[in-house]
Amino acid sequence: MNGVVVVTGAARGIGRAVAEKLAETGPISVVGVDIAPELALSEHITPIQVDLTSPEGPSLVRETVEAAGAPLIGLVNNAGITRDARLVNMSDDHFAQVLEVNLGATFRLSAELAPLMSDGGSIVNIASRAYLGNFGQFNYSMSKGGVVGLTRALSLSLAPAVRVNAIAPGLISSEMSLAIPEEIRAKMVASIPLARMGTTEEIANTVWWLLTPLSSYITGEVIVVGGGRSLS
Amino acid sequence: MSGVIHWAEAVGDDWSRVLAELTRAFAVSRASAQAEESFVYVVRQDDLLGRRGPGNAMVATGLLSAARTAALEGARKGWTVNIVAFDEGTDPEAVHAWAQRLLDSGDVTGELVHLGLGHLGKTLA
Repeated sequence: MNGVVVVTGAARGIGRAVAEKLAETGPISVVGVDIAPELALSEHITPIQVDLTSPEGPSLVRETVEAAGAPLIGLVNNAGITRDARLVNMSDDHFAQVLEVNLGATFRLSAELAPLMSDGGSIVNIASRAYLGNFGQFNYSMSKGGVVGLTRALSLSLAPAVRVNAIAPGLISSEMSLAIPEEIRAKMVASIPLARMGTTEEIANTVWWLLTPLSSYITGEVIVVGGGRSLS
Repeated sequence: MSGVIHWAEAVGDDWSRVLAELTRAFAVSRASAQAEESFVYVVRQDDLLGRRGPGNAMVATGLLSAARTAALEGARKGWTVNIVAFDEGTDPEAVHAWAQRLLDSGDVTGELVHLGLGHLGKTLA
């Protein structure tokens, strides 16, 4: 692979692991959205900080890609937030914030960058196993379910030139999951057949596979990377 | 049994319309949950597969996931949440009847009921 890959939410967690994986397997230029300049550890990572929910956010990313002067071969929509509450208590603000970041930004950035994607390019959307339902996450679950639908629609409209797939991570060792109280997290781990949390590197490996020709006949799919939790 | 049947509306591919439609569903769902009443979402099968564009797909699959999550919450209080997906050309009365049947059942929750054949041989939603 040779070209530019955009990774959103690349400052930490899954996004950072993806950006680093791509940078070390080059020759790829990574545009890392949300990375502060001092956090870009590789010369192959171009850091930019934009608010993807703002009207100008996606076009700023496009301008950075165009300035890179190489074909856009991949887009990894990873940025996401949680604002958990039971449905009866969920505020309008927390509902809107999660939908705007997790789904709206993914949609708008994909629409902005799709015309730049080179033939054979690949878009990978990071959904969540919560799209199958998860107590206390009405907004998050809805947003990630929406990402699944977006993935399917884009896979149809961008075929055959560009493939579009989603990954639904389960419990991954990251800032987001480490914010869960330890007692609850232990119960969650106990329900995972592989008996542990996943790592950000394991998600990065799956993203990398979906970006490469190794997955060249796969589009419109959701790959659950959850240690078997969807069965137990 | 009382409850709400919420029909998803076509939105096109403008994000503000998608968000407005999902927000409308959220408002209906939260009010139902607060009243401990069951609810049913109604979507088109084509939209679960993304065939009518990203906007409608995001609404349909967003509602499906929301239904599964709300069903988990309602199970503790005795209210249910389900979803009906219909093929183009399905009699709206038949759709309504199935939605009402799900509201009335009281013991079916988190389920997706397909009306028509459009889901056969296709990806599981």
